[in-house]
Amino acid sequence: MARVGAYAGLVLVAVVVVFPFVVALATSTKNNDDIFRYPPTLVPSEPQTVESDSLTNIDDAGNDVPVYRLTGIDGQYALVDNDVSVAEFRPIDDLERVIRRPLDDAAETGDTVTIDGEEEDVYEVSVDDVTLVVYRSRVTSGGLFVNLDDPTDERIELINLAEPLTRFGPRLENFPEVIQDKQLGRAVSNTVLVTIAVVLGQIITSVLGGYAFARIEFKGRSGLFLLYLGSVMVPFVVLIIPLFQLMLQAGWLDNLAALIIPWVFTAYGTFLMRQFFIGIPKELEEAALIDGASRSRILWKVMVPLARPAIATLATFGFLYAWNSFFWPLVIINSGNPDGRVLSLALATLGGRSSTDVNLVFAGAIIAMTPPILVFLFAQRYFVENSASSGLK
Amino acid sequence: MAAVSFSNVTKEYTSDGIRAVDELNLEIDDGEFLVLVGPSGCGKSTALRMIAGLEEVTDGELAIGDRIVNEVPPGDRDIAMVFQNYALYPHMTVRDNIAFALQVAKLPKPEIRERTQKAAAMLGLTEYLDRLPKALSGGQRQRVAMGRAIVRSPQVFLMDEPLSNLDAKLRVQMRSEIIQIQKRLGTTMVYVTHDQIEAMTMGHRVAVMRKGILQQVAPPQRLYHEPANLFVAAFIGSPSMNLLTCFVGGTASHPVVEVAGHRIGIDARALDRYPRLADSMGEQVIVGIRPEHFAMAGDIDVPEDQHITVHVELAEAMGSEVHIHTPFAVPPVSVEGAPVNAEDEDQIDTSVTHVIARVEGVHVVENDSDARLAVKSHLFHFFDPASGQPLR
Repeated sequence: MARVGAYAGLVLVAVVVVFPFVVALATSTKNNDDIFRYPPTLVPSEPQTVESDSLTNIDDAGNDVPVYRLTGIDGQYALVDNDVSVAEFRPIDDLERVIRRPLDDAAETGDTVTIDGEEEDVYEVSVDDVTLVVYRSRVTSGGLFVNLDDPTDERIELINLAEPLTRFGPRLENFPEVIQDKQLGRAVSNTVLVTIAVVLGQIITSVLGGYAFARIEFKGRSGLFLLYLGSVMVPFVVLIIPLFQLMLQAGWLDNLAALIIPWVFTAYGTFLMRQFFIGIPKELEEAALIDGASRSRILWKVMVPLARPAIATLATFGFLYAWNSFFWPLVIINSGNPDGRVLSLALATLGGRSSTDVNLVFAGAIIAMTPPILVFLFAQRYFVENSASSGLK
Repeated sequence: MAAVSFSNVTKEYTSDGIRAVDELNLEIDDGEFLVLVGPSGCGKSTALRMIAGLEEVTDGELAIGDRIVNEVPPGDRDIAMVFQNYALYPHMTVRDNIAFALQVAKLPKPEIRERTQKAAAMLGLTEYLDRLPKALSGGQRQRVAMGRAIVRSPQVFLMDEPLSNLDAKLRVQMRSEIIQIQKRLGTTMVYVTHDQIEAMTMGHRVAVMRKGILQQVAPPQRLYHEPANLFVAAFIGSPSMNLLTCFVGGTASHPVVEVAGHRIGIDARALDRYPRLADSMGEQVIVGIRPEHFAMAGDIDVPEDQHITVHVELAEAMGSEVHIHTPFAVPPVSVEGAPVNAEDEDQIDTSVTHVIARVEGVHVVENDSDARLAVKSHLFHFFDPASGQPLR
């Protein structure tokens, strides 16, 4: 029973957490009209259409025509002509009733009648084989609807009074559109480049540093390590200005190098690798030493393959940082030149500039969000795997 | 193949100044199987690791063959080592594990393949060559570790308690396999163990170490029958030698030892082996009696004064023999690092020495009864209580 409660709680939390993602995903595939539909829906929809070919009495074959439901009438109707002139007739003995007909579908009797002080022509209209005496109260534009099941059932109705039918229809064009029309492509390639460079750089420096701290005896090792580890405690805000000046001196303002070089050195990663290397039995290294392997060979052929789980963890963290980082790019890529922008910056700009195209903003967000999620799902299994000791004892 | 020679080799750890190995002098002959044995912390593994180059030599000279290797890195010493935990590379197949050293040495590929196959065939590993170590049993991993050593045809094999992670049955099997491999290859082997039986059965010679100091190097039988001191006497043998502090009475030509109310006449032949016993008349000496120096009265023909009647506290019938545990009301002789004949060390009574006598298995011995034992006093060992040196 307690278990059921626990699961119910977990499901609830999961739903709450996942809901925004679902909304983002749905919005990113909607067309712009669909987003502001009331009541809002989670499923992207598009107007339902039929091929006009299926309607026998339509000439302009080959077009898709939208489908509507007419108020108070069963069945679905295709709007085959949305610009017909409609005349509204009212029976003289029943002024509340409205009969809509094509303009020339009523016979003029030649009589006149006075309604509300206006003199009106009198017509005769046949409704259900009964001829009514009517006057023409209004001429407007309407649509010609054809019953999908019975092509002979044609009706003239006002389009804004008919309810358009929708069906499931994701608009995937949002994605190419946001990449091409909003110049997100360059931001994506920049981000990919920066991320790959940062992740590879972090792995290389952390493996080398971690191994040295774990296994090579040298003077001042523990002191240096403490100092290095202590740098984890320094908050980033403290570093912004000195780092900015450094980048200024190096001439890397507005340059992707400023997004890469400072971040390939990570005290956290070095610590992570050191801890992992310390856990690898020393005998493995000694065996390799006796086998005649050099330090670097031991590192790359014995230690690194064993450290795959730690490297995967490090790569995931590095990836997430590099992909999502916003503040530092905002500070350093500041000329407004879109060629240096990364995704996070581009998204922020997109949100400000194109806020009318909400679907495109969300499409951009989904593009930015998908790789980290995939990487995390893929790397997750490495977190639990630990194969380092399986060859021993 | 090469000899290994320690001359005044010392290993001192700078951190605490403890000498793990203290002025070790040891010559290991070319092609010899030498077992290094001793209690934990005696320096036997350190000595081995110094040969491997994994520990630096603080002082003295270590030579492999004609070459002094004090400063030679492990990879250049042409040695191979088998570790206690095997130290197989977990991410490599058996084949790659065995071939690793050859690959490092950049041998031509066909030769690597051929030598790997040969080593694997020798150890019956051919069908496991493409497996990862984690898919192997303990015994198979042990073989892979052996294969990694064999494939290099090194000057010296170094083994650091290679069998201690195996179960008893496999251990017996691997023991004889290692002996045979060594015999076949004729390679010098240094084998570290704390296991008595391995020490006694495997080596041409056994070196006993204690607290970094070499106690005795001798062939196993000599080690057993002529221990160089009290420690070796107490350490070698299972169940271990009974050590009793006795008063020496009688005459110089026919001494009698007295302990806990028992009087045992010493056969004159014992005086040939331990002549200085005659100098200890009227003094305390430590008498070492192996369990098999006892027999049931009547089984052997010894003089009447070489019989004692003891109370049987516990009789363990092993089939071929019976172990009789009997208390002697004297304080036990403690030898640091030597095994103790007691089930639970917490229950050691400091006023009682538990003596174990090994008699023929045909006898039915009841617990809590009395037994009359004959003793082969001509085989006894005698030690100086102060120095632990034999009275030779």
